[in-house]
Amino acid sequence: MVAQVAFNGLITGLILALPAIALTLTYSILRFPNFAIGAMMTVGAYLAFVLNVLLHWPLLAAAVLSSIFLAAILSLADRAVFSPLRNRSSITLLVASIGLSFVLENVVRLIFGNTARSFDMQLGSVYEFGVIRANREQAFTAAAALTAMIAVYIILAHTSLGRAMRAVADNPSLAAVRGLDGEQVIRKTWVVTGLLIGASGVLAGIDRAIDPQLGWSYLISVFAAAILGGLGSPLGAVLGAVSIGVAEEMSTLVISPNYREATGFFAITVILLLRPQGILGTARLRK
Amino acid sequence: MSGYLVTILIFVGIAIMLGFALNLQWGTCGMVNFGLAGFFSLGAYTAALVALAGAGTLAATAAAALACAVGCALVATISVRLSDEYLAIMTLGFGEIIGLVALSEDWLTGGSIGLSGIPRPLTGLVADKNYEFLFLGLIIAVLIAIFITLELLLRSPFGRAVRAIREDDTVAATLGKNVISLRIKAFAVGGAIIGVAGAFHAFYLTYIDPSQFTATVTGYTFMAVIFGGRGSNKGLVAGAVIIMSLIEGTRFLKDAFDAIDAPQLAAIRLIVVGAGLILVLIYKPEGIASEYRLKSASFFPAADEKPAK
Repeated sequence: MVAQVAFNGLITGLILALPAIALTLTYSILRFPNFAIGAMMTVGAYLAFVLNVLLHWPLLAAAVLSSIFLAAILSLADRAVFSPLRNRSSITLLVASIGLSFVLENVVRLIFGNTARSFDMQLGSVYEFGVIRANREQAFTAAAALTAMIAVYIILAHTSLGRAMRAVADNPSLAAVRGLDGEQVIRKTWVVTGLLIGASGVLAGIDRAIDPQLGWSYLISVFAAAILGGLGSPLGAVLGAVSIGVAEEMSTLVISPNYREATGFFAITVILLLRPQGILGTARLRK
Repeated sequence: MSGYLVTILIFVGIAIMLGFALNLQWGTCGMVNFGLAGFFSLGAYTAALVALAGAGTLAATAAAALACAVGCALVATISVRLSDEYLAIMTLGFGEIIGLVALSEDWLTGGSIGLSGIPRPLTGLVADKNYEFLFLGLIIAVLIAIFITLELLLRSPFGRAVRAIREDDTVAATLGKNVISLRIKAFAVGGAIIGVAGAFHAFYLTYIDPSQFTATVTGYTFMAVIFGGRGSNKGLVAGAVIIMSLIEGTRFLKDAFDAIDAPQLAAIRLIVVGAGLILVLIYKPEGIASEYRLKSASFFPAADEKPAK
C-alpha cells in the first residue's frame, strides 16, 4: 500500500518535473518567476484535447503537435507581453505573468466552458512489479517525462544553445560582451520551455480531468518543486519535483485528500525556514 | 435605480479599501500580495463567525483585522529574508489554503454553502429602506479614516523608511533601518485593512461562500493600484472607480448578447482584467497619479527661486 502510494507519487513527481524545469529555466534566463505556467499547462492540455478527441489523432501525436503549438503561443506571448517589459523589475514581470495567466485560463474557459473533459486513450494492460502495479497511463507518463528530461539535458549540456543559456543565466552582461545575442537566447528559451510545458499539460490532463483550473491546481506544487531544488537549477528542479510528488501522495495517507495542495505550500514554508537556497541553489538573504 | 447605484458604490468602497491595503503593501513597500482574495475571505469569515457568535459587529471587525494582520505577518516573516518573488508564492499559497479550508471544513465555514444570516452594524438606527444609505455612509467614513491614517503613515519616518527599503534595502540597512521588522509591520498593517474590507463585505451581503473570493478580486485590485499610480492613495481611489465601472460595465454585455451565459461573462471579465493589467504595465506604468515625495523646496523654501545676483 505504502509502496504503491510512493510509486504514484513518483509519477506525480515526473509530471511536476517538466514545468519545474521550465520555471527554473525562465527564472534563470529572464529573471522572474513565471506565474502563468499553470495556465500555460492548461492551454497545452486543451490543444491536445482538440487534436486527440475532436480530430481523433492518437494521443502521442496530439501531445507532440500541441507542445509545438504551445511553444509558438509562448513565443507570441513573449513578443506581446514580456518583451516590452524586458528591462523592468522582476516584480513588474511577475505581475504581468499573473495577468497573462488570467487571459490564457479564461480564453480556454470562454471557448470550452467549465465542463471536465478527458483524453481518448485505450485503457489496458496493468504492469505488475512485485507489490507495485503500474497502469498504462502511468507507463506513458513515465516514458514521456523521462524522454523530455533527457532531451533537456542534452540541450543544456551538449549544444551551443545550452552553453549560451547557461552563460546568459550566469552573467548576462558578460555573455553580451562575448558576443551572445541575449534576445535570441530568450526566444529559444521560450521555445524549449513551451515544449516542456505543453508536454506537462498533456501529462497533467492524463492524470486528472481536463478543466480550466487544471494547471492552476499544479501551480503551488511546481513552485514548491523548483524552490526545493533551488531556483535556477534544472537538476535540482527534478529532485525537488520527485520529492514534492512523493510527499503529496504520501500526505493523503494521513490527511484529507482535499488538502493535497497544502503539502506543496507546507513544503515551501519548511524550505524557506530551513534551507532557502534549496537543494542545489544559491539565494541571497536579507540581514 | 438609486438602490442599484448605492449597491455599486458600496462594492466600489470595499474595492477601494482593498486597494488601500495593496497600495501600502505593494505600492509603497514593494511587497507583492497574490493571496489578496484569500486574506479577504479570511477577514470575511472571521467577521462572520464572530458576529454570528453574538459578539457584535465592532468586535467582529476588530477580530477580522487582527486575523488578517497576523496571517500577513506570518507569511511575511517566513519569506522576508528572501527576494520578493518568494513572498509572491507564499501569499498565493496561503490564499489557496484559506480557500481550501473554507471549502472543506463544513462544521466551521459551511463548506460550499457558506455562512448566512450575518448581522449588520447599526441596524436599529434608521428605517430598513434607508439602511443601504447608512451603510454606504459608514463605509465612506471608514475609508476617510483609513486614508488619513495612511497618508500620515506615509509621511512619517516609518513611511519614508519602508519606501527607502523598496528602492534599495542595502542602503536602508546601512542607514540603520531594521529592514526585516519594518517590512513585516508594513505588511501586517496592510493585512489589517484587508480584514476590515472582508468584514464589510460579509456584513453587507449577510451571506458569504467560497465562490465570492476568487482570483478576480486579486486581479482588479492590482489593476486599480497600477492604474492609480503605485504609492498614491488619491490615484488609487480614481483607479478603483474606473476599474470597477469597467467591470460592472461588462455586465451589460450579457444583456446585449443573449448567447453569453454567466460563466462566460466571468471569463470575459477576467480576460479584460488580465489584458488590462498587462497593457497598463506596458503603456502606463507610472499610473495616473504619482507618489508623495519630499521636494527640496519643502526644506529650503527659496531653493526654487532664481538666486539673487
